[in-house]
Amino acid sequence: MGRTSNTGVNALWQYRAAAGTATTQRLRLAVLVVAGCGSILHLADWWFRAEHVASLPLFLVLTFIFWWGILRMVVLWISYLRISKPPQKPALPQRRVAIFTTSSPGEPLSMFEKTLAACARITYPHTTYLLDDTRDPRFREVAERNGAVWLELVGLPGAKAGKINAALQRTDEEFILVLDPDHIPFPNFLDEVLGYFEDEKVGFVQVAQAYYNQYRSFTARGAAEQTYGFYGPTQMGMNGLNCAVAIGANCTFRRTALESIGGHGIGLAEDLITAIRMHAAGWKSVYNPIVVSRGLVPEDLGSFCKQQLKWARGVHEVLFAEVPRLWPKLSFWQRLSYLTVGTYYVSGATMLLFLLIPYLFFWAGMQPANMDFVEFVLNWLPVGLFGVLIYLYVQRWLCHPQEERGLHWRGMCLKFACWPVFFLGFVLSLWNGRIPYIPTAKQADGRFTWFAWPLLVHQLLFIGTLLYVVVERAYYTPEARLALSSGDTWGMMAFAGIAYLMTLGGLFAAYQSSKLTAEEPWATVRLPGISCQLAS
Amino acid sequence: MKVLVYRTSAVLLVIVSGVLLSALLLYAGERSKGPLEDLALSVTSDVARFEKHLVGHDLRKSRSASLRWFDRYRTHQALLNAPDTILTGAYDNNTAESYESIVALEESLQVKLPIIQLYTAWGSKKDQVFPMLRAQAIQDLGSIPLITWEPWLNDFDRNEFPTKQPVERINEGGLKAIASGRYDAYIDKWAAAAKQFGAPFYLRFGHEMNDPYRYPWGPQNNDPADFIVAWRHVVSRFRQLGATNAIWIWSPHPAYRTYRQFYPGNEYVDWIGVTTLNYGTVAPWSEWYSFDEIFGASYAEFSLYGKPMMITEFGSLRVGGDRAAWFQQALSDLPEKYPVVKAVVFYNNTSDVTTTYKSLDWSFNADKQVLAATTRVLKSWRLHHAPTERLLRKKPLAAAPLAAPHSVGE
Repeated sequence: MGRTSNTGVNALWQYRAAAGTATTQRLRLAVLVVAGCGSILHLADWWFRAEHVASLPLFLVLTFIFWWGILRMVVLWISYLRISKPPQKPALPQRRVAIFTTSSPGEPLSMFEKTLAACARITYPHTTYLLDDTRDPRFREVAERNGAVWLELVGLPGAKAGKINAALQRTDEEFILVLDPDHIPFPNFLDEVLGYFEDEKVGFVQVAQAYYNQYRSFTARGAAEQTYGFYGPTQMGMNGLNCAVAIGANCTFRRTALESIGGHGIGLAEDLITAIRMHAAGWKSVYNPIVVSRGLVPEDLGSFCKQQLKWARGVHEVLFAEVPRLWPKLSFWQRLSYLTVGTYYVSGATMLLFLLIPYLFFWAGMQPANMDFVEFVLNWLPVGLFGVLIYLYVQRWLCHPQEERGLHWRGMCLKFACWPVFFLGFVLSLWNGRIPYIPTAKQADGRFTWFAWPLLVHQLLFIGTLLYVVVERAYYTPEARLALSSGDTWGMMAFAGIAYLMTLGGLFAAYQSSKLTAEEPWATVRLPGISCQLAS
Repeated sequence: MKVLVYRTSAVLLVIVSGVLLSALLLYAGERSKGPLEDLALSVTSDVARFEKHLVGHDLRKSRSASLRWFDRYRTHQALLNAPDTILTGAYDNNTAESYESIVALEESLQVKLPIIQLYTAWGSKKDQVFPMLRAQAIQDLGSIPLITWEPWLNDFDRNEFPTKQPVERINEGGLKAIASGRYDAYIDKWAAAAKQFGAPFYLRFGHEMNDPYRYPWGPQNNDPADFIVAWRHVVSRFRQLGATNAIWIWSPHPAYRTYRQFYPGNEYVDWIGVTTLNYGTVAPWSEWYSFDEIFGASYAEFSLYGKPMMITEFGSLRVGGDRAAWFQQALSDLPEKYPVVKAVVFYNNTSDVTTTYKSLDWSFNADKQVLAATTRVLKSWRLHHAPTERLLRKKPLAAAPLAAPHSVGE
């Protein structure tokens, strides 16, 4: 399916780096940001008027959820102003480096074959360790065949991080690259990151995560689209503010830095916990926007949602447990950054409230604001326009612009489809609740994932409401009311309809996921075909 | 120092360019606001029309079915201009979302009201365009809209209608400005929309122009001659644009006997409207007047103008007398006593803030005695609703080619 042609694959298996930052580009971006902020002030001047309040509590809720989104956008814009790419530095010579990759029961052996073979091809001298708890002797064979050291680490708490900490005890290399087993590293991986450790304060160097299976499905494409901006301009901006975060995979740590915080953090967002603790301990972070490995992105909606639920729950853990504790030790921008990252999944709750507005209007006659829809659109339009312009402008700093540019509508549909997941993650974290066990089929079983049910309920609600309104207006609305209430009614229905259309993307993803045949995408990856020449 | 200068100027440059960029966009937005709002309004009325078409209420039960007799009038401008019956109507202020309050009043009075009045002001705001949705709604309900069109000049966008006059004195000499064509763009747009509406409707422009204490288009700001010139100018523009479905009601205040100085002439007026509101003893300056006292003198004069007359605001407050008796007395022998009066429009306004510092309640829809008296009298009128063949054969006035005489001011 899609572009699995050789040329497409080749384009992916090339070393890539985001563009550097020229002063004129940054000035242009700053102009757009100032203009965007100006249009936000104009919107605020219109929004906050007493005549717009229909019901004060509801209006306050609406104001909160609307301006919450705007505020996050402004914080992102401001971080864009500090976009920076670290200058290339030759790798420190003669250092001892370990690569940790972990295997767990149920993971396909052939994938490790490919990953470990790729690790062996990394040119900088290093030792690869397979941190294994499969109790499957074949994993040991694969490791040893590819020159990796096999470490059996069974029965440790804390999943991946627990094994990493145990392996730290049994090794002594100065630098540790933590690599997810689905990520196939390029031979030049270590050459591109080790130079930054020249600065003794640098605790970790993170590089981009890129994927090679995004053509497999709508879900995969959407999930990949959601990450493009983050691994390009967003992290580059955070890098400029010394806020770049570790993402679990593809992160190279300084052993002393890890040891200074008592080892790798443990939790559902172990990478974020590690990053915030390192920042609090005074270590610097470097984000290098380069593609020196490619991995897998979830191909079916169930797996994607499961991953999102895990992250949502984990990120809130950081927000509630780590941020307050480490607050005094963080810089202003680090505080802002962790608050922003930590509240990303609050959008599940705000989306729920947004979705409720039309149904409150139709079923309970409640209206939060006396705003003319057209007037709102006119006042919002400049903000939207500058938002899109900035979004498109910063795409020059994507790691692989030819591949990644766009409006990313699949990513938006997928994010919309995940609001119940985000919401669940948010609610669970309020009482520190555990994630319920949700099985995801390894093979497509023709069934809709559990995660698509809220979308189906939403569909039913919309269709039911539409029928109710149509019947009500056709048979029970006095004719003296019909014409004058027509605008409000159908305007609200259009508002509900937009959300309804958004659910279609998620449902398509769920439908497609139920039909997806499992493949082993790594099987076709040719390691000698990976090019370490910087592609332009 | 050099670094400081460089950085400061870069920051300033960025801020200035950013502000300019957003100002440019806001300016563009301001410019396109009008057309976009027009589009939105037309979408709203199109949606309402489409919905009406889809719903297709049982026509036998609809209000327009019980007003079917009126169809012959409202489709014949000649009949509308010289009805052989008395048309009743109402204004109700609680009609933002629905005309159910009018229907309720009709049920209380056991009569259907062919005229529904609404008020709208001049200006650049989005609700100051021709009220297409409302006019259409009234039309669909089987009635005819009576639009009282108030030439307030405060709400005009000063970029669109530039003037050196300070905004607080914009209404001084306002009628002269209207006659000079300053507001033609607005008038033309309104007239074009009215033409698009298509059906005949009553248009009461600049009412109570002879009252120096009420509206800014009164004699405190203008000469009577200015009113005439402005009126003729507005009517001429409508005629030139082919908006001949507007029926012009010239509506002075009967208490100020200067009204004859404001009459624009037979060529420009279709009806004469008179307000007969009894304020009772609500204010120090008011006292309880009977309908005859309010209306009698002006009727004696206007009945000679050869135009049908309309009581455009009929009502009485409660304080200072017997309201039911006032209604009874006013209406009982109206057809015989005032035969030129061809329409009475009840003023059922719960909140009138135009006259006194507090809001006045003219509504009578909850006053059982007034309702009973009015119902009784309206029954006794024995109105027949069958226009004579002679009148029907007459060509509609609007269809007659007009010489479109130019106003004096041009």
